[in-house]
Amino acid sequence: MKRLATCAILLPLLAQERPTFRVKVDMVVLSFTVTDSKGRYVNGLKPSDFKITEDGIHQKVATFAEGNRPPVQIMEDGSSKPITTTGPVDPEKGGISTDAFVGTNVFVLFDTSNYMYRGFVYASDAIADFVRGLDRADSVAVYTFSRNLSRGAPLSKDRNEVLTGLRKAVAGDDAALYNGLLLTLRDAAKVPGRKVVIVFSNGPDNASMVAPDDVRAVAEDEGIPIYVISTSDVSRDPISSGVFRRIASRTGGKSFFAKTWQKQVEAFESIREDLGNSYTITYYPQPNPNEGFRKISVEITSDPGKKYRVSARPGYRPRPGT
Amino acid sequence: MTRTIICAVAVSALAAGLALGQQDPRGTLERLERAARQSPRDAAAQAAYADFLDQHRDPRARQAYQHLFDSAAGAAKLQAARRLAVLDLLAGDRESAARRIEAYRAAGGADLTMPAASSVSGETGTVEIPGPLRSFNRMAALSPDLPAEELIGALARNIITNGYQATSGSESLEPTEYLKLVFRYMSQAREIDKLADSAKVLRVETCDSAQTGQLLKTLGFRMRGGCGSDVVLETVNATRAFLTMDSGFPLAELEEALRTNRPFSYDYQPTKIPVLYSAEYWLSAREKQSGEFIDTFMSDPSLCRLYLGMSKIDQDTADQLRRALPVARIRAFAHVFDFFGGMFRLRDGKAVIPGAPKSTAAWTEMVGASPDQGAEFFGALVAKDDGWMASYFDSLSRIQGPTLDYLTDPARMKRFYAALRGKITSPGPARPVFRANTDLMLLTTRMRLGRDGRPVIPGGIDVWKTLFTLHPNGKYDGKLTKSAGGWKEPDDVLEALFALSRKAVENEPLKMYLAVSDLERKRSKPLEAATVTRLLRDYRLYSPQYALFSEGPEVSDSTIVAYLDSAAAIRDMHDNLLKADSAGAMQALAGIWQVLVRHKLIAASEEDATLSGLVTPFGKIKSSRDVFDAGRAGVALLLKASHAPANANPQEIMMELMAGTTAPRDAETMGTLIGEMNKVFEAQKLVSLKTLFDLADHLESVSKGEKLNTALVNRLASRVSDLNLPRASLSAQEKNSFSFGFWTEKHIEAERKLNFRSVVDKSSVSPDRLRDARGLLTPLLRDTLVGFLYAHYTPPGAQLVYTNPLFVRSHDFIGIQGSHQTWRTTEVLGSGWPSSAGGRLVGSLATLPYALAEAEQNFLIPTREQALIWGDLVPQMLVSAKLTRWWNVAPEQIHYVALNMRLGESLLAESAFSPSLREKMMDLMERLADPARVRKVSGFIAAGDMARATRLVTPADFYNLGAMAAAQRISSSSSIPEAIRALVAASPDKLSSEAISEAFGTPKPTLANSMRPELLNLRLFPTLMGYSSRLMAESWESNNLYYASLADELYLRPSQLNLLVPDWTQKGLEQIFATHLEDWPALLYSIRVTGDKIRTAERKSRGIESASLN
Repeated sequence: MKRLATCAILLPLLAQERPTFRVKVDMVVLSFTVTDSKGRYVNGLKPSDFKITEDGIHQKVATFAEGNRPPVQIMEDGSSKPITTTGPVDPEKGGISTDAFVGTNVFVLFDTSNYMYRGFVYASDAIADFVRGLDRADSVAVYTFSRNLSRGAPLSKDRNEVLTGLRKAVAGDDAALYNGLLLTLRDAAKVPGRKVVIVFSNGPDNASMVAPDDVRAVAEDEGIPIYVISTSDVSRDPISSGVFRRIASRTGGKSFFAKTWQKQVEAFESIREDLGNSYTITYYPQPNPNEGFRKISVEITSDPGKKYRVSARPGYRPRPGT
Repeated sequence: MTRTIICAVAVSALAAGLALGQQDPRGTLERLERAARQSPRDAAAQAAYADFLDQHRDPRARQAYQHLFDSAAGAAKLQAARRLAVLDLLAGDRESAARRIEAYRAAGGADLTMPAASSVSGETGTVEIPGPLRSFNRMAALSPDLPAEELIGALARNIITNGYQATSGSESLEPTEYLKLVFRYMSQAREIDKLADSAKVLRVETCDSAQTGQLLKTLGFRMRGGCGSDVVLETVNATRAFLTMDSGFPLAELEEALRTNRPFSYDYQPTKIPVLYSAEYWLSAREKQSGEFIDTFMSDPSLCRLYLGMSKIDQDTADQLRRALPVARIRAFAHVFDFFGGMFRLRDGKAVIPGAPKSTAAWTEMVGASPDQGAEFFGALVAKDDGWMASYFDSLSRIQGPTLDYLTDPARMKRFYAALRGKITSPGPARPVFRANTDLMLLTTRMRLGRDGRPVIPGGIDVWKTLFTLHPNGKYDGKLTKSAGGWKEPDDVLEALFALSRKAVENEPLKMYLAVSDLERKRSKPLEAATVTRLLRDYRLYSPQYALFSEGPEVSDSTIVAYLDSAAAIRDMHDNLLKADSAGAMQALAGIWQVLVRHKLIAASEEDATLSGLVTPFGKIKSSRDVFDAGRAGVALLLKASHAPANANPQEIMMELMAGTTAPRDAETMGTLIGEMNKVFEAQKLVSLKTLFDLADHLESVSKGEKLNTALVNRLASRVSDLNLPRASLSAQEKNSFSFGFWTEKHIEAERKLNFRSVVDKSSVSPDRLRDARGLLTPLLRDTLVGFLYAHYTPPGAQLVYTNPLFVRSHDFIGIQGSHQTWRTTEVLGSGWPSSAGGRLVGSLATLPYALAEAEQNFLIPTREQALIWGDLVPQMLVSAKLTRWWNVAPEQIHYVALNMRLGESLLAESAFSPSLREKMMDLMERLADPARVRKVSGFIAAGDMARATRLVTPADFYNLGAMAAAQRISSSSSIPEAIRALVAASPDKLSSEAISEAFGTPKPTLANSMRPELLNLRLFPTLMGYSSRLMAESWESNNLYYASLADELYLRPSQLNLLVPDWTQKGLEQIFATHLEDWPALLYSIRVTGDKIRTAERKSRGIESASLN
């Protein structure tokens, strides 16, 4: 009931082309990629090509975007319309610039603990290359962690600012990877629009208080894909590797095991491709009595033969009261 | 004379404010402002307005006094000039202060003189460090906030603690990776230095210049892509590149310059930093020839220790020692100077000794030199018995009052020294990495004297005699066992305690004495001998619980015994799940009682009966149903004792109680507090008391034939189903790698499997079985009760309680098999993945606030580049911020604290113009700080440098200075003393030292064996063996005082501090950049910076100019 009231308020606002696209906290942002049987990205799909369900309940898409293109609003009749901004936006009142939905907010989490001591400079180089190569529409933040998290470079479109923050990173101390990842997700969750977290770590964690799957659950609930680039040899730490695979796949991200600098660059390239070839859909969940884990399904209606593969998070837990 | 008139007016204005209940300071300000505006020539109106602003640290006070100065004549004019000079100095405007003093003198004032801005650093030289200071600081792990004169000392400390490690297979030391990197950095910096021009600026004019290649090669980088927009810097030499990045070389700026083909320049001046005396003093003739001072210094840890030791001594004393003693002799005892030299002081050529003059002969005899011999006395003191004598001197120098008088009685002092020293003196207390006289310091600090002036021995001497002779807990010391038989006097027991204080382990009776003595300290009547005997007997098993009894001074001996009996009954249980549920429920109820007593929600007259009623049923537990019934009865008892309305929703009323009040004067704050706690409750999927109790009642009804309420059962079922959490996806390998938590897993598993509907269906044939079924709710009730405490103590910045939905349920009351942790202190276990299933708390709930803060501190985010959260100190700060509730604090109390702090600060500034006042203030300061700090503060003030002086004076110092000065009626240029007197006259009870201690105090679980907030006004403790920075953190009492003063300044209500203090504390802690474990100035700086930001933001919002940092 509360859900319907929110939508009822939202739609007239949009219909009048008010300057601000108001986002309620219970809006679901779903980013995913579609690949064919050979693993190639499938581009050019339209909103009408997708059927989104939550626990089998059909969802009405509110906005749709492909890659870094600006999102469009999906109207009642299924037609689409650009979201335009014509006036000032007051974030304090929940207003969010439509600009926030253009491009991706990329949070890079760089392991600067003792475990990364030897590969520290090469990792920094690889991240710097990745930052330089991101689409101009993307915003990027570089956080580092050892025992504590450090916000090296806050979210920005200014690449020089980000690189300066990255190059100021200090190496050393214990590794609290999952604590750092959790705090990064909390920051990312506050940012509207599409966002991803990229973890660059050797793997071992000797200081976290929070377990990986609790962190993964936060990423799932917030709709933030986690990409992991591990510089460690998979066979040396099978448990960490397993965890990396799990948290990446369950959140709609990917994991890479890249011991050499070249492999790390390739991993970043792959992530960049994912970002540029993904679809982002938002919707307001239809009434659903399930207060626990809600399973999301993305079906491509224009692919009756089921040849395409969708990589998306499997679901989420709604916030209390929504 | 005019001062008197002005003050009379000001006081009347203030009294008017008081008449309004001190509730409307903003209204008072508006009235005074209006009056001043309407009567610009009325000196009294102008003065009242200026004084009010001054008392509230309003920056407009200077303007108001200026107006008074311009418009008034005679004494009023003089007074305004005097006050303006003080305010200018406090604002850091020395030049303006000088002009004020001139004006003051021109107007006829004669008693103040502007101090000369002379150097206060004494005899110093300078040494050079290659490259920018910022880079060196980063590599050497030194805070950028360190004053230049403290850099070498801080470096020395880092070298001593982190620079060297033992070589395997030999006794020699080798540099650690930390030190190797510092040396490598300096080598690289010297290479870069050669590339700089004559002005020591690195310049790269164009991308393709020769300098570019040279510089990049030295930095360990190369260009990828040709010059132009494609240029990218990448690592070519990992070792060099690491140093470049780690030292913070502006690599991104260089890359940007190359990409845009713009010139790049970077100041690469070598850094000159002060060194005590001169570089030559520290180096031998051979060393002087071997190269740069800094390299030689860092290569010699013993030289670093010597420097550190000398830098801690009061500067005048150190100078005299240096002149009197050969450097080789000082160097031989550098470790003793380092740990115990801080309290050494020479005045007029004589050693200042504790207990003088009556102790002079005894010290002469013990040390072998007379205090009159000055430096020779300290030379002999440090050389004595490997540091035991020096540690004794240090401990006695830190105390004052009757305890000092008692312990420095000549005969007694010698007797206790002999006990402390023992026969074998090596290793001495200065040999380990941390000073090893912790228990001696605690004993001398916490010892109690009775009204008869004799030491209080809890339970009487016979109890302690029995402990040593019959040794129910095992033998301690053969010699003491032998001597105990003849004990007759308290000193006999004390002698044994001094003997035990030299031991870092196996000194249990001393710890027992401190714990029981602290328990007894606030009680209205002493503990009975039998109770003390029981407490001593059970010490090993239940001592962490003793702090609970000190929370309520009215707790009776029988209740203490009942608690221990119930604990023992639970301990004897064989069913671990039942044991955990029983212990959890009982401890949680007692913990809730503790919170309610602390916040006066249970009257003193009902403290004892309530606690007794809570714990007694747990001594007779046979089944889960009994635990449930005891838990439910306990909740009812707590609600009744706190006068909750009958038939109120127990969940809602308990939440209100845990927020700290049932009658909030600030509904908004109360709502937010309850909201925060509900958020924790919800995140932890806990079941409400109402649901649990309704279900239990319903079972009773069903057993009598009523139909099952499906909706009610489903409500529980839905909550329990939420416990099926993502951890289910763990691989077998991951599960196998978990090292502990078996009983916790079983507890959670039992809850997950609970199918209440099925249980009811199966039991429907038997009314008794149906009634028994409420026992199945016991694990849920335990979690709910424990959850109230977790919610109450959740520190600011917490994440675990919101992220791990099993965190409360994971509280492990059993621990690892055989560890018997059920009644021990709460500990944090399970950090690091995958060796654990995520962090959890283990043990009893006795120290839950600290353990929770210790676990959650990991989620604070340092805001300073390179800084990390200060792990040993931060939990105590978080506990102090969260445990305190401000509902019972009156606005008058806040204002009183603020006024005293303002007076202390103001008098220190005023003392810059008056040597006689300075002498008085430094005499007061000596009661609060060590001699070296007093000397520095005095020096800075004498030079009119208040900014540097206040870096070394804590808010607690300011408060105590103000309070002492007010008590001694030390004359001030301000109206503050009169305002303080008016406040005290209006509210004497609220402003007694006990009331202020209770309102603004902090818990001290290790220092005072109690969580009950109080102010002890002790000198700051150093880091000590076994406690690291924890005792220092507990002796730090400045935060609440500082934030109270800030609230007064910003006209905030005390109730608002319930939310603001935790928030401000978090911000302050995230701001700290400390260099070492005793770096309290870093803490001080961070809270002042935080306060300044808050102040600036608030004043900006009100359109008032920003105040300077104060």
